Amino acid sequence: MQIYIVRRLLALIPTLFFASLIVFVTVRLIPGSVIDLMLSQNDIAVGKDRAQLEAALGLDRPMLVQYVRWVGGAFRGDLGRSLWHNTPVTAQLLERLPVTFELGVLALAIALAVALPIGMYSATRQDTAGDYVTRSFSILMLAIPSFWLGTLVMVFPSMWWGWSPELKYVALRQAPLRNLAQMIVPAIILGTSLSAVTMRLTRTMMLEVLRQDYIRTAWAKGLSERPVVTRHALRNALIPVITLIGLQAPLLIGGAVIMEQIFVVPGMGLLLLEAVGQRDYPVITGVFLVLGMCVMLVNLLVDLSYGTLDPRVRYQPS
Amino acid sequence: MLAAVVIRLVRRKPLGAFGALVFVVFLACGIFAGALAPHGMNEINPLYRMKPPSLTFPLGTDNLGRDMLSRILYGARLSVIIGFCAAGLATALSVVLGLTTGYLGGRFDLVMQRFVDAWMTFPDLVILIAVVSVVGPGMLQLIVTLGLLYGIAGSRIIRGAVVAVREDLYVHAAQSLGARTFRILWLHILPNVLPPIIVLFTTRVGIVILAEAGLSFLGLGVPPPAPTWGGMLAGSGRAYMYQGPWLALAPGLCLTIVVYAINMFGDALRDVLDPRMRGAG
Amino acid sequence: MTRIPRIHGTLGVALALCLCLGSTTSAQAPAKPQYGGTLEIGSVYVTLSALSWDPQDWNWKLNHDTGMYFEQLFAADLDKSVRKGGKHKFYADAWLPSDAIRGELAERWEWKDNPLSLVVHLRRGVMFPDKPGVMKARELTADDVVFSYERLDKSPKKIATYFDHVAKVEARDKYTVVFTFKQYNAEWDYRFGWGYYSAITPKELGSVDAKDWKNAVGTGPFQLTDFIQGNSQTYAKNAKYWDTEKIGGTAYKIPFVDTLVYRTIKDEATQHTALRTGKLDILESIRWTAVDNLKKSAPALKWSKWLSMSGTFLAMRVDQKPFSDIRVRRALNMAVNKQEIVSAYYGGNAELFAYPMHPDYYGYYEPLEKMPASVRELFAYDPANAKKLLAEAGYPGGFSFKVQVCSCSPDHMDLLPLVAGYLEKVGVKLDIQPMEYAAFLSAMTTKTNAPGYFMNNGHTNPTTSIRKSFVTGQQWNPSQWADPAFDRKMAEVYLTRDEAKRQQMIRELTVEILDKAPYVWLPTPYIFTAWWPWVQNYNGELRAGAVRPGPIYARLWIDQDMKKKMGF
Repeated sequence: MQIYIVRRLLALIPTLFFASLIVFVTVRLIPGSVIDLMLSQNDIAVGKDRAQLEAALGLDRPMLVQYVRWVGGAFRGDLGRSLWHNTPVTAQLLERLPVTFELGVLALAIALAVALPIGMYSATRQDTAGDYVTRSFSILMLAIPSFWLGTLVMVFPSMWWGWSPELKYVALRQAPLRNLAQMIVPAIILGTSLSAVTMRLTRTMMLEVLRQDYIRTAWAKGLSERPVVTRHALRNALIPVITLIGLQAPLLIGGAVIMEQIFVVPGMGLLLLEAVGQRDYPVITGVFLVLGMCVMLVNLLVDLSYGTLDPRVRYQPS
Repeated sequence: MLAAVVIRLVRRKPLGAFGALVFVVFLACGIFAGALAPHGMNEINPLYRMKPPSLTFPLGTDNLGRDMLSRILYGARLSVIIGFCAAGLATALSVVLGLTTGYLGGRFDLVMQRFVDAWMTFPDLVILIAVVSVVGPGMLQLIVTLGLLYGIAGSRIIRGAVVAVREDLYVHAAQSLGARTFRILWLHILPNVLPPIIVLFTTRVGIVILAEAGLSFLGLGVPPPAPTWGGMLAGSGRAYMYQGPWLALAPGLCLTIVVYAINMFGDALRDVLDPRMRGAG
Repeated sequence: MTRIPRIHGTLGVALALCLCLGSTTSAQAPAKPQYGGTLEIGSVYVTLSALSWDPQDWNWKLNHDTGMYFEQLFAADLDKSVRKGGKHKFYADAWLPSDAIRGELAERWEWKDNPLSLVVHLRRGVMFPDKPGVMKARELTADDVVFSYERLDKSPKKIATYFDHVAKVEARDKYTVVFTFKQYNAEWDYRFGWGYYSAITPKELGSVDAKDWKNAVGTGPFQLTDFIQGNSQTYAKNAKYWDTEKIGGTAYKIPFVDTLVYRTIKDEATQHTALRTGKLDILESIRWTAVDNLKKSAPALKWSKWLSMSGTFLAMRVDQKPFSDIRVRRALNMAVNKQEIVSAYYGGNAELFAYPMHPDYYGYYEPLEKMPASVRELFAYDPANAKKLLAEAGYPGGFSFKVQVCSCSPDHMDLLPLVAGYLEKVGVKLDIQPMEYAAFLSAMTTKTNAPGYFMNNGHTNPTTSIRKSFVTGQQWNPSQWADPAFDRKMAEVYLTRDEAKRQQMIRELTVEILDKAPYVWLPTPYIFTAWWPWVQNYNGELRAGAVRPGPIYARLWIDQDMKKKMGF
């Protein structure tokens, strides 16, 4: 088992750097250079400024040299400095990642809390009115554009009751209640739209599992519904669901941009959006690298969890 | 066969059938928008700005005096085009990738899977933001980007289905008869993985439409004056939501209803087609 | 029954008397300011976090974020504001009227000739506070000023010609700085004085990482205590700040509030919500579309409105046909119904003419009514005349041309089709090409922009407004205007020491460029500022230097009793 983990971790590294090289190069091929953007901020710019600025930012070297320097730095944990803010990219990422992570975990928890019960309920009460209603609600949450839902939640309570979610960010360990007051609303919106897909899959897998022979045996044995559903059916149905969670990881880690913007959550999504708009190459590359790493780690965890859920799957040294 | 599926759908999955009906209406509106719309797509008329729904303007007018009903109908056309083209491109790509990697296996499969893995590492929206910022806003760019993005991700699903089918008896039979790979793929494998392909396509249409809406909010969607529903909702819908709620209600409701219908339809389709594929009772 | 009216009557009279007395006393003297509280501000740049904390980065936004702790030699004299009976509103983003400048860190200054130099005498007793890891509390000296200047001058990111007019800067003694000039430059105080790049930092900043916000320290009324990028910036009161504010005849030590917080909120709807629910005390930049609703849902808010410090226009490349012909350019101006844009598109919340001169630029600005007929013609809707001019120029059937616009501006994406609609009526068709921001900007800076280029551009100040857009080869010159005579006149403006003469020259240059119409001049919208009534000693002033609101915020105080009574 340990060997498997180590091998998987080692396999991450070449993939990561391959991906980072692609991102590094592509980003610099984007039309509209950062120099133009910077020069445009000042009224009196002449040709001399361009060369000077390029040198100051290290952008006058050939691309390969820039990449090598970046890789060297990455090994030491130094991902360069933001071209605009001049702050170390690593520091920026370390600040933003926990925020995104927290939002993601909350959204996932809510998604599961909504999806699993509804999925199970729908499966056991297949094709009844209850099944239709709960499924419809879930899909409705998916169909409403998230930014619209977010806007409605932000604007109308403030007009009717003078209430709005907390908008000033404070770290979780500093003031947990205030932090949650800010995160909970976007987490709910994200979570409910996420739950639609999970619920569908849970329902499908439960349906399939419930038809299996060993379930029929359990019924025949005279077991009541609860142990049959939870002990036997759910465990086996959960495997693809866990896979699905793994697939959602990228979405949670980087895709919450819209919620971040509306609810003023200082996460990775907004950082990336801003960086791409400003052509802040080191930040963009850094964000992609970290995103990639996180997702790969999540996938590894998902794969490992198969071992606990399904006794048939055990990892042998080859 | 189509008639049989339809009948089964209506009888066993009424909600899904309703979804299909909405889907067809949406398609029709999209195709015949030019004939149905009472006014032009971009008929600016400052004198009639911000008028609430009335007989002349059933859905009201927007901040530039354009008829909302006409804009919605043309928006349907745009959504149909973007949705179908992008979903079509995505599905085609998924099929090609899924068929080849699933059937051929071996080293080719391994390499492609690593590539797909790396691709799926990055969140959809993140890639979209980066690419649209690079290539600039525009309908063609959006279709190609969305198509590529979802195409690669969806190949996994098709691959899974192909892997399940490739060990079937008739495939082995064809192979032992010496049939060429392409023939096997085309004649034997493809027809048997058609159901997941159909389901994949329908769900992709909904996802693409929503993705365009999200991009519009971030300022990266099809730029105005193109009347995409997402663009109308995110743009003037939000800016004038106090003065003219109809500016947001119309595109918002359309978006929600169509995506909802597509999803219900796709679900029902999967339920109806899947057991048949498995051969279970 | 009959008894009650009498008691009622006496009570009524007594009550009325009390009310009268109460209201007269509150109308006579301004209330005594309270100390304490937190000021939450959504500033003009509410969507942007701090870009940089180090003056050496030559970042335009620096004063906005550091101007509370890095002070400058000069700043706005806020006593000359309208609120205090003066005539200045202090809306301009990078301009101070010459009669409303006071010395901030400079106490007095005088000019000397042979060689041309400026002798600045610093205020005494201005203290830098203690900052662990950076410096111990000490007095400001001339060495700090010299250090700040030289650090800016030697920066690799410096704008090349910015300080070319300065020969040297040296400290004559502990409180005297001497600037020696090569020649006079009319913008001398803007360049280093109260402008974008004029922050006075302590010498110790040279030996620490100045880019780290945790090392920020200055002489100003607030000190930076927290920075959450993308969300908020927090500043705490400097208890030993040197300045005072006179209210009702008494001088009070400032700042009044304990904490100042800048909020960063990208989404417009969220900004309004924050204001509505009292989470923001001030929101400085509100679009007119939201004003009615905010007034209805938060009727207690106080309002001010100001003309955008940015002009909107459609630039036409004069180095190509058909726009090389002035008749074509003037025709396009006449073909656009600018009055209708004001009334229908902006709902009346705009002015026809505010660019390139802004009404707030006293002495430099002339209203449209005072302009010659040929200029006024450009702002009157006359499609018939437009068609005639086009025919004269050889385009009786009109023509078509490509226009680039930034998809990042929803306002422009709506406005341009409206303009296109007007132009189509005289046969001129627009081929609109939306571009993403960076690519859009690049097209202009590389001078490869399309014949039509739809944008808006900040005024900055009266001289810069004209120079940066209409002098040959300048960065913000998308129309490629290149007139050597114009360039010479502009250069002369910079060398002229007499302000009245400069104002007249600028007025003439403004009329000339308006007339020659390298742009289709479009109306300028009003922008609104709103604040809750518990924010006192404030009337919507925006800047006391180049994008520098620090001194304004230092003079605000919060009526905490009122705030509590209103339920916040």
